[in-house]
Amino acid sequence: MSPYELLAASMATQDTLQPAPRLILQSRLSEIALLWPWVEALAAEYAMPSDTLFAVHLCLEEAVSNIIRHGYGEQPGHRITVDFSQENASSLFFAIEDQAPPFDPLGHPAVPAMPAAESIDRLEPGGHGIRLLRRFAGSLGYQRLANGNRLIIRFPIYR
Amino acid sequence: MQISTEEMAGGITRVALDGRLDIAGAALVDLKMNVIAGSSRKLLIDLQNVSFLGSMGLRSIVLPARAVLGRGGKVVLFAPSEMVQSVIKTSGIDSLLPIHHDLAAAVAALQ
Repeated sequence: MSPYELLAASMATQDTLQPAPRLILQSRLSEIALLWPWVEALAAEYAMPSDTLFAVHLCLEEAVSNIIRHGYGEQPGHRITVDFSQENASSLFFAIEDQAPPFDPLGHPAVPAMPAAESIDRLEPGGHGIRLLRRFAGSLGYQRLANGNRLIIRFPIYR
Repeated sequence: MQISTEEMAGGITRVALDGRLDIAGAALVDLKMNVIAGSSRKLLIDLQNVSFLGSMGLRSIVLPARAVLGRGGKVVLFAPSEMVQSVIKTSGIDSLLPIHHDLAAAVAALQ
């Protein structure tokens, strides 16, 4: 094999290892486990710092979990698409789309700052998803689609 | 996700979590966490090897902690990473489940 063929072969191999820019998930909670290997592959490909990887994984898990549990009411047979692109050297872009009833997590009233739990009754096991999304996303955007919702999450990369 | 326990002096149960406490990790530890919480009055949850914590993972901490507190017991969280600690503080659960980075202080808080 000539050096050019070797180079072409190695590039082809690298291409096949690149994570796909789109992840399609079904509306089952077990599908959320597919986020990690995809995000981990993106992190390797785009040299994300570990804190960015943490924030991306957290926000995507919270957003997709919200859609499956609340948007689709845990009913199977629907899907969620997560698209990734690197906008520039310092910004990562994710768009999460569903075909669920309208839901704007940014306009949702259930996002006041968490009051300090004063008793065990106030120690809430759930309801933290949107709060975490707001805390760990660089910026959030919402678009109502003709037949669904699109949540846009950007993350700055600090190197 | 791994979970291990150690009985310490003073009746303290140290439960060490190791790995990603995401939805998959939470499913792996929930049952064991609840069993441990059912028999412990002083629970030290060691988070130093937890590399990720999401809201499903928070449930895996809060539900057993609530069981221990409900019986008049005590629970402390030990040595989370900066990002894991940030998740805990954003959730607000640290007001009832204090975070300690020094083991002696964590043990003292359980006495």
